[in-house]
Amino acid sequence: MNMFRQTLRLLWRDWVLEWRSSYALSGIILYVIATVVLVYSALLNIGPQLWNAIFWVILLFAAVSAIVKSFVQESQHRQLYYYSLVDPLALLAAKMIYNTLLLFGLSLLIWGMLALLTGNPVKETGLFVLAVFLGSMGLAIAFTFVSAISAKAQNSATLLAVLGFPIIVPILLTLVKIGANALGFIQDTSITGDLLILMAINLTLLSVAILLYPFLWRD
Amino acid sequence: MDRLIKKNWWKALGVLILLYVFVMGMLVPLKPGITQVTPSATRTNSQIVLDVQGYNTHFDEAKDTMRIWIKMDDEYILAATRITVKGPTQVEAAFEIPAYLPSDRRVQDFALVIDNHIDGAAVRPNALLVTQDSIDLAMGQTVWRSDRMENLHQLKGITFPFRNILGETIRNTYFHVSLWLAMMIIFTAAMVYSIKYLRKQERRFDHWAAALTTVGLLLGGLGLLTGAIWAEYTWGKFWSWDIKQFTTLIALLIYFAYFVLRRSFPDEAQQARISAVYNIFAFVALIPLIYVLPRLTDSLHPGNGGNPAFGSEDLDSTMRMVFYPAVIGWTLLSCWIASLLYRTAVIEEHLWDEEPTHD
Repeated sequence: MNMFRQTLRLLWRDWVLEWRSSYALSGIILYVIATVVLVYSALLNIGPQLWNAIFWVILLFAAVSAIVKSFVQESQHRQLYYYSLVDPLALLAAKMIYNTLLLFGLSLLIWGMLALLTGNPVKETGLFVLAVFLGSMGLAIAFTFVSAISAKAQNSATLLAVLGFPIIVPILLTLVKIGANALGFIQDTSITGDLLILMAINLTLLSVAILLYPFLWRD
Repeated sequence: MDRLIKKNWWKALGVLILLYVFVMGMLVPLKPGITQVTPSATRTNSQIVLDVQGYNTHFDEAKDTMRIWIKMDDEYILAATRITVKGPTQVEAAFEIPAYLPSDRRVQDFALVIDNHIDGAAVRPNALLVTQDSIDLAMGQTVWRSDRMENLHQLKGITFPFRNILGETIRNTYFHVSLWLAMMIIFTAAMVYSIKYLRKQERRFDHWAAALTTVGLLLGGLGLLTGAIWAEYTWGKFWSWDIKQFTTLIALLIYFAYFVLRRSFPDEAQQARISAVYNIFAFVALIPLIYVLPRLTDSLHPGNGGNPAFGSEDLDSTMRMVFYPAVIGWTLLSCWIASLLYRTAVIEEHLWDEEPTHD
């Protein structure tokens, strides 16, 4: 089995696992709905600036709770079994792709919920979708790798937050800026530059993660 | 490296360089400058008496050679008609502004130039704004009696440049900026040792990485502190959520997390390997944080958001003579501290591994 097929197979396995233990996914969806409703009932009148901030903050915390279990949910023995069957990089790639898609779906859900309750303030839909996709990818790459690190320690949930939050700040700062453009309350000419920087950050984090993962999984 | 830590010459060199930096950086006087010109605006066809405040100047001793001009560009210059020296740092200069200016702008800015044989020449850009009653470029060029600005005196001795707002705090360049550069050097070295550890799996490389990261964090904290003091003086607040202050804080948090991570593993080999992985990852995450993001957003720092760059003009050759040694000095001192931390770690490990012979 080559690496590509392995990745696809693992991706499928992740999806099946998620579906079987659907409490995790439904927990995150419940979290998203509860937060959006709470924010809406507390603020009632949400301007575009606030909308932008709330959207990314909800997505950030949804990402943490969705990704924290990536490497923790399976026991050390089962992971060893996987590593003896497949290329470790295929495992990492499958988790990253899975988390990217999961986060993208979640962010569309958050967007839909917020739009339903407060109206849709997004003016440039294409740009916003692109930002959401690149953002989901960046958050997925960074958090997946950090969760691989923190899974080795005992209190991995706390460690994930401590290690992960500072690292994703550059991604979030760029996302907030692009989001502000897409919502139309900031006019900026250098928006392609921002998108390129976001892509560059994603690619650097991805390549470093791929380079370093071989040192990480062995135990 | 292991042979070098027993040698003393580079530690002595570091201390000597820092002594030189402290002595030069603190004792060399600032070039005489102009801190205030009042009033700062007038109209054409008027007589005006400007009250000029100097800094580090000797107006009273150099009364006989005092000359003052206002200058629009290299061609149109107006000399003062009368100069009254009020004290070593205060002088009054009277000007007769003609009815028309050789400029097609409604409000034209003039630089003020003072020259005498002790202080040399000092310039204050945008010292005086003149509003024209009616604009006539041709009339202005004929009416304007242009004076020559020649034989300017050169100041003798070594001085640092005088900058408005900065004043004496320009000396902080040798601390804030050079500590910052030294921190980047140390963090890079720490990352190199992390890579070395992953390649060779030798425990001592991990000790080096940890020691260097500790010192880098110390340098970063000091850089942030000196920066905050500087910000209090120049921007009016210790902390103003400037993008660079913010990203630096995040960078330091990333490295704090490195130590949190180190403490959460009981097994030493695992601790060393995983913290090396995180150190490399953190360094890579640091690059967009420090070099890319601040360029995207407006910052109060020099060289950002339309502020003049703090380089070619401000860092003159005298400042370079102190600034570059300062970077080397801080780096050497940090390496010394790191080598002490490294040796402590090695001794601790040795004691830990030794079998207790008796209790």
